[in-house]
Amino acid sequence: MKSILAALLVAAACFAAANAFAADNPAAKKAAEAKATTTCQDCHGPKGDSVSATFPRLNGQQAAYISAQLKNFRDHSRSDPHAQAYMWGMASQLDDSLIAELGSYYAAQTPTPPQSGGALAAEGKQLYLSGAPAQGMPACVTCHGAHGEGNSIIPRLAGQHADYLKKQLEAFRSTLRENDIMHANTKDMTDSQIEALVSYLAND
Amino acid sequence: MTGRRTRAQWSARLVFGLFVIAPAALPQSALAVPSYARQTGLACEACHTVFPQLTPFGRVFKASGYTLFNTQKVEDIDRTKQSTLSLSDLPPISAMIMAGTSFAAKANDPDSSKVATDFPQQASLFYAGRISDNIGAYFQLTYDDQSGTIGIDNTDIRFADVATVDGHNVIYGLSLNNNPTVQDLWNSTPAWGQPFIGAPSMQGPAIPGAQIEGAMAQIVAGVSAYTYIDNSLYIEAGVYRSALQGASVADNGNTTNNIISGVAPYWRAAYEWDWGKNSWEFGTFGLSAALDNPITPAGNAVNVSLQNSPSDHFLDVGLDSQYQFIDDEDQLSVDARWVHESQNLDASYLAGFASNKNDRFDTADVTASYYWHRKLGASLGFFTVSGSNDPLYLGTISGNSNSNWATAEIDYLPWLNVKLGLQYTAFMRFDGATSNYDGMGRNASDNNLLYAYLWLAF
Repeated sequence: MKSILAALLVAAACFAAANAFAADNPAAKKAAEAKATTTCQDCHGPKGDSVSATFPRLNGQQAAYISAQLKNFRDHSRSDPHAQAYMWGMASQLDDSLIAELGSYYAAQTPTPPQSGGALAAEGKQLYLSGAPAQGMPACVTCHGAHGEGNSIIPRLAGQHADYLKKQLEAFRSTLRENDIMHANTKDMTDSQIEALVSYLAND
Repeated sequence: MTGRRTRAQWSARLVFGLFVIAPAALPQSALAVPSYARQTGLACEACHTVFPQLTPFGRVFKASGYTLFNTQKVEDIDRTKQSTLSLSDLPPISAMIMAGTSFAAKANDPDSSKVATDFPQQASLFYAGRISDNIGAYFQLTYDDQSGTIGIDNTDIRFADVATVDGHNVIYGLSLNNNPTVQDLWNSTPAWGQPFIGAPSMQGPAIPGAQIEGAMAQIVAGVSAYTYIDNSLYIEAGVYRSALQGASVADNGNTTNNIISGVAPYWRAAYEWDWGKNSWEFGTFGLSAALDNPITPAGNAVNVSLQNSPSDHFLDVGLDSQYQFIDDEDQLSVDARWVHESQNLDASYLAGFASNKNDRFDTADVTASYYWHRKLGASLGFFTVSGSNDPLYLGTISGNSNSNWATAEIDYLPWLNVKLGLQYTAFMRFDGATSNYDGMGRNASDNNLLYAYLWLAF
């Protein structure tokens, strides 16, 4: 597990460096803001704060994560149902510089705070901070940060829609959304553990 | 009371029913267009719960002039680097076929069959998509097996743009269209309202809907300006005038009745609340039209020189509401509409074709539909029309056209663009009576109809 985490952190650092390099492009920045405010916001909401849980919040999301996902949509390497229905088309004509600037645009927006409260959220916090060693489930905090803020290609989870988080965890667990690391981390999670974790992280 | 109608009167009324007042609460053609999916790269579910019902994103796509695209373009610029051409590399062409067979409780008359099969019931070609950066179209050409002809069907050509004003997202535009409410964004207004399809053989009451509920479809041209702010507040105003197909110059003949005198103002205002996976819209819409040389529901036509022709005036005021719950597993929609029509029948009354100078007419309907995984669906709708007693104008035995009916339907979609449906319509009251409404022993329930259909869009 440690070697997987090390590899992931090295990849994240490289991606962040590449993204920072690509992000200095005024024309692309202007185009990205126009794209975000005239197209993306129709689903993801003004400044990325979406209303419907069908569409994830992007405000305050990690720039490198957004860039990586847009490229995965563009080359179809992410192929869960919503990716195919919505994002394959939306990302098909985006170039790398526009993608990088879209990531920067949303990363700069104020994130939605999590609502965590209640007994279920307390259980979720325990899972988030300590994992479930008996099930081989590592602590989420290791990669996703002390406050669920994410890190580079590791996404922000805090303040996301509950239903969106739940469906992603279920999709990782079933491999509907393909990601070896997240499948390994979720494959033994129970539905109630998912509910608890989501109630700690989400805002709905 | 009018007593029994002559064959000529029945024929006139049939013509009126089929071509002059396309049934409103009765089924109209309405659909989704796959060329939009090809243009955007988005699956049907982005814009539709199940076609033809729009999602919040589908409403924005329509308000934005059908211009969102994610394909390669053929482009040109002038010397100032301004775009002069921006064509999608894929022509936005689509096709649609409807076929069906229906079984009536009782044949319309002793010479008719209870069973009718329509193949195709309707076949359409569309140009539906982007024309330039800010202009898009929904243009439909339809073969209709009832008339055996090809004609212009629903058409909506738009200019649209978007701006940020004081932090608000403001979509604004113009629509040039041929059917009041065809440009609308919700499925609770007439042009795209429930039920979305029905058997051509189904009988409709003397007045199945108000003027704005289909009577003007494809025989008018209108232009309207609209704005859609923060995907919530929608305001639109426009005017319509007559634009008869095959008769661009209106002369004084049998084909130039119901001509709009001048222009008919149209308005629409709506507000949509979105929360979580829910949306709720409430709105108003309406039309004020003076019709020269009107034809009455009884089939009597005023025919004098159009230069000096008298007119009947119709003021339609509608309220509508739509609730939607949409997620991957469940899709629920409830649409409701009420229209009040004030009828000033000066022309018909003067000609001796109406008993009253002023009549009223109301329609109301509500339909709930549920889909499971966009694959299996069921819907239930209730419809009612009621109005003044005017035997001369309506030509019914009862003197009114008060009718109530319900429609139940189950659907199966093996693919998102293929719909198989089974629909049953039951009439509780027809033209003011539950039994013997035509004086010849026909009961309301004799018009009950079972209808099976196939609907393909590709």
